[in-house]
Amino acid sequence: MRLYVLHALVVKEAQRHLANRGGIVLAMLLVAAAVLLSVFAPEEATGGTGMVGGVHHCFVEFDRASPLVEHLKENVPPELKLQIVFRELAKADEINGIIVYPTGTGALQLRQDTRVPDRRPAVKVDIWHPEGDPSALAPYEAWFWKESRRFFAARAREKLSTADLPPDPDFGAGSSWLVLEAHARLQERVEAARGTKEARPLVPDLVIDRKGLGGRVLDFRAAIATGMVVFALYFACVYLLPTLNCEERERGVLLAQALSPASPAEIITAKFLFYPTAGIVLAAIIAGVYKVAVLKSLFFWLSLLAVAGGFLGIGMTVATLARTQRAAFMGGMCYLLSVSMVLLICSTNGIPFLPYVAVEYHGPRILHAALAGEVQTYHWHHLLGAIGLAAAWLAAAGWLFRRRGWQ
Amino acid sequence: MIHLSGLRVLYGSFAAVDGLDLDIRRGELFGLLGPNGAGKSTTIRVLIGQRRPSAGKVTVGGFDVVREWAKVKPIFGYVPDRENHFEEFTGRRNLEFFARLYGVPRRRAQDCLAMVELDEAADLPVRGYSLGMRKKLLLARALLHEPQVLYLDEPTANLDIHSAEVVHRILRERVKLGATIVLTTHDMDEVERICDRVGIVCRGKLVALDSPLALKQEHTERMVDVTRPDGERVVFDLDADSGRRALADLVVAGGVAAMRTREFDFHATFLKLTGQAFE
Repeated sequence: MRLYVLHALVVKEAQRHLANRGGIVLAMLLVAAAVLLSVFAPEEATGGTGMVGGVHHCFVEFDRASPLVEHLKENVPPELKLQIVFRELAKADEINGIIVYPTGTGALQLRQDTRVPDRRPAVKVDIWHPEGDPSALAPYEAWFWKESRRFFAARAREKLSTADLPPDPDFGAGSSWLVLEAHARLQERVEAARGTKEARPLVPDLVIDRKGLGGRVLDFRAAIATGMVVFALYFACVYLLPTLNCEERERGVLLAQALSPASPAEIITAKFLFYPTAGIVLAAIIAGVYKVAVLKSLFFWLSLLAVAGGFLGIGMTVATLARTQRAAFMGGMCYLLSVSMVLLICSTNGIPFLPYVAVEYHGPRILHAALAGEVQTYHWHHLLGAIGLAAAWLAAAGWLFRRRGWQ
Repeated sequence: MIHLSGLRVLYGSFAAVDGLDLDIRRGELFGLLGPNGAGKSTTIRVLIGQRRPSAGKVTVGGFDVVREWAKVKPIFGYVPDRENHFEEFTGRRNLEFFARLYGVPRRRAQDCLAMVELDEAADLPVRGYSLGMRKKLLLARALLHEPQVLYLDEPTANLDIHSAEVVHRILRERVKLGATIVLTTHDMDEVERICDRVGIVCRGKLVALDSPLALKQEHTERMVDVTRPDGERVVFDLDADSGRRALADLVVAGGVAAMRTREFDFHATFLKLTGQAFE
């Protein structure tokens, strides 16, 4: 392995990309997408959009700025600050007198019900959720019911400072307080109907204890970042490498290099050096834009190396088997689609073991864990699996290239 | 310098080269001719290590092209029939890249560009080059490391007369410096003018091997075209007694208005030897 030959071959790859700027433009678009993701959904503001389900924005609309509305405005939790939008009903977007909401949004409409002068005061709440998904607004409703309860209880305490009012429920128990209050109301009414004061109530007490299973709701923001990182590696190793390699073969330039003193091992090593490095640099930039801290993680870098190695082996195998640039492109796409289908079928049908032989099974898991900062022991097992598969793919690609690489 | 012994190359059951024996001497400009499918390209592919012989042995500079391929590679330069440049690079960058692979100074690229008269277009992208310029760039690339052996596949195809002369001059200079050159071409004039020896292959076998002049003298038919006073044209074959006698009688009788000997024609020699139209 001669360094001056390797240097010449690597510089040539870089110069080709500088001359054909398509790859560079796509890389810049990926980085721009990462920047946009970072700017418009900063990590500290959302902590992942997974918690808000299928509704990314909820409008709280009111007919007039009442004290309740002011209380709600002042008590929006940080995790929902960017998702909740207050506006007057009169200023809502309308078409032919009907308020319209963009896809992925919902609304809580508050109206002071004063149509009948001597009627009890009422606040009319209209909940508008996406069709067929009534629970989509659950996180917003949980907040709204809690704050409404707190507001009205506080007002009652102000007016009846000497009265024996019920204490606030335990809001820390999530939405369970609503159920517990309803149950307590039922107990009171049953005991009132019973008429006698007995030690044992007819309706038993209700104790609710919520526990997490240990997992977390999928963090879509980290998932998008993972997707872009995986795509960067795939783009460099399974798209650029095979297509440019096959282009060189079609033009006969690969043969010209093979007839020069450069050995097949040097030619393949230069490609093995350039494309994964380019992919890893691009992936690291995207990951760094998403979360700078991830660049200090050893697990992240090991994951990048393993996935890049696997994709490199796959790309080189495609490059060796395909005869033309078009065939290389189609080969890369077919590989991606077929592996995706296999993984999907295995996932939906509970087929074990088969997914373990796919780099695409382990890669996104370890990269997502690294980006989300949730590396568990089993992620290290996935990393080992990815490293093993990468070694196997690289060995296969090297053997194939030596046999028929530039032919 | 180049030794082919019993070379046989099979494509399935078809023998593209069938027992070819050939010795090409150091400092010789050798023309390899033949009709379509004669086995010329396959022979060149064996010589540049891109096709393994089914049987026989091929050595270049004393090295076996199969077993000692790494030692053979630096010895030769190759000008393919189909240009193979990095289209997006300039001519200079193309040459500089290969100069780095061969470990020759960057200055050599400039020298080679000047040699093939491409120095003015050196900094233009190759995608803007004409076919002739691309061909000359191929020759410049093959000359970068001053190889001992040069294989050229139709080196003057698509070249204008001046450029073809430039290529011929370069080849002659290389031969004077001791290089061995093997070229295939369709240009019979080119073969006659620059080749020291010619090998004609047909159906994978060598059917003739000599200097162009010797081959012409040996194989060209001697004919005389005569135009009689009444305008009738008659052809006399001087290789036959009857033809010679009939021509003598006609001359003595004053029955010749005009007479012309047919020129030696290497093309005709080729057709006679191969019995096929030239590709």
